[in-house]
Amino acid sequence: MNYPLIYVYCLTDSQPELTHYTEAEGLQLLRFDDLFAVVKYVSEIDFSEENFQKHLSDISWLENNAWEHVEVITRIMENHSVIPFKFGTIFQEGTGLKKFVGDYAESLAENFLHVGGREEWAVKIYCDRNSLSDKIDELSEEAASLEIQIRASSPGKAYLLKRKKDDLIENEMDRICKKYGQEYFDELNNLSEANRLNNLLPKEFTGREDTMILNATFLISKSKVANFKNTVDRLGKKDENFGFLLECTGPWPPFSFIYIKEKQQ
Amino acid sequence: MSNNVIDQSKDITILELLDRVLNKGVILTTGDIVISAADIDLVYLGVKLMLSSVETMEQLKGEKAIKEK
Repeated sequence: MNYPLIYVYCLTDSQPELTHYTEAEGLQLLRFDDLFAVVKYVSEIDFSEENFQKHLSDISWLENNAWEHVEVITRIMENHSVIPFKFGTIFQEGTGLKKFVGDYAESLAENFLHVGGREEWAVKIYCDRNSLSDKIDELSEEAASLEIQIRASSPGKAYLLKRKKDDLIENEMDRICKKYGQEYFDELNNLSEANRLNNLLPKEFTGREDTMILNATFLISKSKVANFKNTVDRLGKKDENFGFLLECTGPWPPFSFIYIKEKQQ
Repeated sequence: MSNNVIDQSKDITILELLDRVLNKGVILTTGDIVISAADIDLVYLGVKLMLSSVETMEQLKGEKAIKEK
């Protein structure tokens, strides 16, 4: 069989053992001086530009293959530092990958130094605004004092004050979300070597009722991972009754902390 | 296997996965790479996912309705 294209999963700076799954998955190791590339030879039928584009519009193909990409790299990184490649990075067989590794040797070394001994963890923070709204008098002095006024007022005045309070609650919830989100972020960031903020995802995409208020990724030294996870748990429990929820996933391959500067041609 | 992202895959949205593997890591756009066109617009993808999940929901509802009859 002739497979002329090379699909790249990741680079490592020490030699991974592929024996367990090489045969089953067709993974191969290419050596370039001190670096190793975990690759798979793929057919032009699946991975020609035209066919690849076609596959990409097939969500289930994309999901399966994207998971496979992450899964292979995750297994390698249990014992080795990795530089993950974007899904679907394909080189022509021959000198292309070798040239890349040579041309970018310095940048690759810097990246290995940056991610070595560290893991990528993602934290998403959500706020259930209904729960927060129910507890607003505990967290907002303004809301609490308005509530006292409402209770002491005649029905007519109380009605007007209630409407005022509804507006106030929206603003106060925004303020509280910012304040708490920042506190959580600062505490987690103190344990991290680097962070990256991602776009907040709207409810349609998360499929959740609560609102995402922070979507961050942290690079954590392996020695601090346990502490980091405990901190996420502790922060999550602390303000649970106000509607805050922290969701942590990882370790991911360090996708978010790879910086390869493309050289001018 | 140990506690890793694969074990948590059920809880990870496909969008989080795709945002990572398509927009991050070593990204080459020129030079010797064969396929550089894997630039997928996540907004587009998100809309597609949304549509497909709406479809699934409608299907489930449909099945339920049939069963209830």
